[in-house]
Amino acid sequence: MTYIAAVNETALAVFAIVVGVTMVVTYFASKRVSTATDFWAAGRGLTGPQNGFAIAGDYMSAASFLGIAGLIFLFGFDGFLYSVGFLVAFLTVLFLLAERMRNSGKYTIADTLAYRMKQKPARAAAALGTLSVVAFYLIAQMVGAGVLIEGLVGIDFWLAVVLTGAFMIIYIVAGGMLATSWVQIIKAFLLMSAAIVMTIWVLAKIGWNPLDLFRDARGKSAEGEAYLEPGLFLSTPLDTVSLGLGLVLGTAGLPHILMRFFTVPNAKAARGSVMWAMVLIGSFYVMTTALGFGARAILGRGGEEAAGPTGNFALPTLADELGGELFLAIIAGVAFATILAVVAGLVISASGAVAHDVWSNIVRSGRDSEREEVWVAKIAALSIGAIAIAIAVIGGEGLNISFMVGLAFAVAASANFPALLLALTWRRFNTTGAVVGVLFGVISSVALVVISPTVWPGPDSEGGALSWYSLANPGIISIPLGFIGCFLGTMLAREPAAEAKFDELYVRSETGLGAEVATGLTLTGGGGRRRTAAAATATIPRL
Amino acid sequence: MTEGFTGGAGTTEHRPDIDWEAVERSPEFRELVKRKKAFVIPATLFFLAWYFGFIILAGYAPDFMGREFITDGLTVGYVFALTQFVMTWVLGWMYLRKADRVFDPLAARARESALELIGATDARGTPESGRRFRRGAIVDEPATPSTTSEEVPRQ
Repeated sequence: MTYIAAVNETALAVFAIVVGVTMVVTYFASKRVSTATDFWAAGRGLTGPQNGFAIAGDYMSAASFLGIAGLIFLFGFDGFLYSVGFLVAFLTVLFLLAERMRNSGKYTIADTLAYRMKQKPARAAAALGTLSVVAFYLIAQMVGAGVLIEGLVGIDFWLAVVLTGAFMIIYIVAGGMLATSWVQIIKAFLLMSAAIVMTIWVLAKIGWNPLDLFRDARGKSAEGEAYLEPGLFLSTPLDTVSLGLGLVLGTAGLPHILMRFFTVPNAKAARGSVMWAMVLIGSFYVMTTALGFGARAILGRGGEEAAGPTGNFALPTLADELGGELFLAIIAGVAFATILAVVAGLVISASGAVAHDVWSNIVRSGRDSEREEVWVAKIAALSIGAIAIAIAVIGGEGLNISFMVGLAFAVAASANFPALLLALTWRRFNTTGAVVGVLFGVISSVALVVISPTVWPGPDSEGGALSWYSLANPGIISIPLGFIGCFLGTMLAREPAAEAKFDELYVRSETGLGAEVATGLTLTGGGGRRRTAAAATATIPRL
Repeated sequence: MTEGFTGGAGTTEHRPDIDWEAVERSPEFRELVKRKKAFVIPATLFFLAWYFGFIILAGYAPDFMGREFITDGLTVGYVFALTQFVMTWVLGWMYLRKADRVFDPLAARARESALELIGATDARGTPESGRRFRRGAIVDEPATPSTTSEEVPRQ
C-alpha cells in the first residue's frame, strides 16, 4: 500500500528535524541520568503539567491521530465511540489508581501489586501482565509505523520499521525516562499544534460553523442518514458494550501509563498531571472528530481510495488537499513523532518489568546493585526493541494491527487492572489471587481474541472458531474472568503475611507516608549527576 | 520464597519504624478514608452509569442515537458523546478541588500523627527528634501539609 510512490523529500526533511530535536533532548538527558530512579522515573522531578503532557504523548498513538479520524471518515459515529472510551478511562485512572500508584510504587506496577505479597510469584505475574500488554501494543505500533512511513514518505516498510526502532532504543538506552518523557512532551505539543491548525483550516473551509460539518459530511457519504448513527463499524450491540468496557478499564491497566506517575514528586502532582492529560486528550479527540468529518465533507467519496481500507490515510490526504506537499510533510512528521513517543514509553515500561521485576527481584532476589539493575534495563530495552523490529519486519504489513491494539487493552483491563485494584483495596487478597487473576486475564483475553471471527481462521476472516461465539472484543467476558480469578485464587489460600501488611500498603497509598522521594532531576538544570548523587545519599527522613 | 525486603537495589523499602496498624486505626486516617470514599464511590458509579448509558444506547438503540434535533445534522448520539467530555473534565476538576481542600490536609494530619508516634518511641525520646522527622518529611511536599483546609495552594 503506497500512498506516494516516490520518496517525499520534504517529509524526510521534517522527519530529520523531529529526530534532530529529540536527539538533542536525549543528549542532555544522557548526561544526567545515572541512578535507577533517574532511569525509570526521571528522578521523580517532573512537574504536574509536564507529566500531563507526557501522559498525553504516551497515550495518543498514531492510531488515535490517524486511526480514529480515519474511522470517523469512513464510518461516521462509531469512530467517535473509541474517543469517548479513551477519554472517560482517565476518570478510572484518576479516582482509583494515579495517586495510589505514586504513593506505593517505585519503578513498575509490580512494586504496588507485589507490595505485600510473596515477591517472586507476584512479581512474575505482574511482569507477565506488563510484557503481554507491551508485546501486543508495541508490535501493533511498529507495524503501523512502517505502513504509515512507507505510505507518507515513500521509503521501504522494513527500513521505516528499523529506523523507528533504532531511534526508540537510542532515546531509552542513552536518556532513560528523562529523555522519553521529553520526547513525549515535545510530541504532545506538536500533535496538539497540528490538530489545532488543521481544525481551524477545516472550519475556515466549510464556513466556520462546526454544526455544518455534520450536515456536509452526511451529504458526502454513501450511507446517508446512517453515517450519523451508530452501527456502521460496530454492528453487534454486545460487541459495542464489550469494547466500551475494555476501553474504560483498560487504560487503568496500561503499564506505560501507570509508570508515568512515578516521575512526579508527590500525589498532588500525580493527580494534577491526570487533569492536564484529560484536558489535552479530550480537546484533541474533539478536534479529531472535526477532522474526520472535515475529511468527509471536503474530500467526499473521492477520498476513500486514497484513505485506504482502514482510513488511516484520510488525514494525510486532507492535509494534502488543504496545504499541499509541505503541510502533508508536516503532518507526516507529527505522525512520526507520535509513534516514536509511544513506542519509547512502551519499551521503557517493559525494561522495568524485565530488569527490576524479573532480574533484580526474581533472579537476584534483590541482592544486585543499582548499577547492575540499570545495565540490565538498558540491555533489556535494546533486546526488546530488537525483537519488536524483527517481528514487525518478518510479520510485515499483513499483521492485523487493530486486533493487536484491542488485545493490548483487553489484557490490561482483564489482567493488570483487577489485580492492582484488589491489591490496594481488599485486605484478604493474596499472592495466589494475584497470580491466578493475572493468568485468567491474560489467557482468557488472548484465547477469546484468537477464536474471534476477526482472527479465526486467518486475518480478517469471516467465521470464527465457534459458531455461537462472535465477539471481536473479549472485555465483557475476560474482565469478569480476571476478577473471578483473583477471587478464586485468594479463597484457595490463606496468607496471613499479606493480610498483615495490608495496613502498611493502605496507609502508604492513601497518605504518601513512606513514599519514594524525588531526587530532583531536570533536563537542563545544573548539577546533574552530582546533585542526584547528593540527594540519594542525603539522610532525609522519608515521607 | 524469599521475602527480599532487606534493601537491595530492587526491593521496595519498607518503614519498620512506623506502626502502620496504629495509623490505620487513627481517627485522622479513618476520617481521610471516609471522606475520600464519600466522594470517589458515588462519582465512580455516576461516571460509569453515564458512560455505559451512552455505550448501551449506541449499541442497542442506533435509531434513537441518530435522531436529529436543534439543527440539521446534529444527532442525539453526538450531543450525548459530547456530554461525556464535559463530564470527564468537570468530575476531574471536582476531584482535584476536593483533594486540595479536604483530602490533602487530612492526609497530612494522618502522617503527622504517625510521625509523632515515632517521635515518642524514638530511642532519644526527645520531642525534637519527632519534630526533626516532621520537618525533613516536608521536603518532597510543596504544599505545607499542616495548613488548614482552605489554605492549601492550588497546583
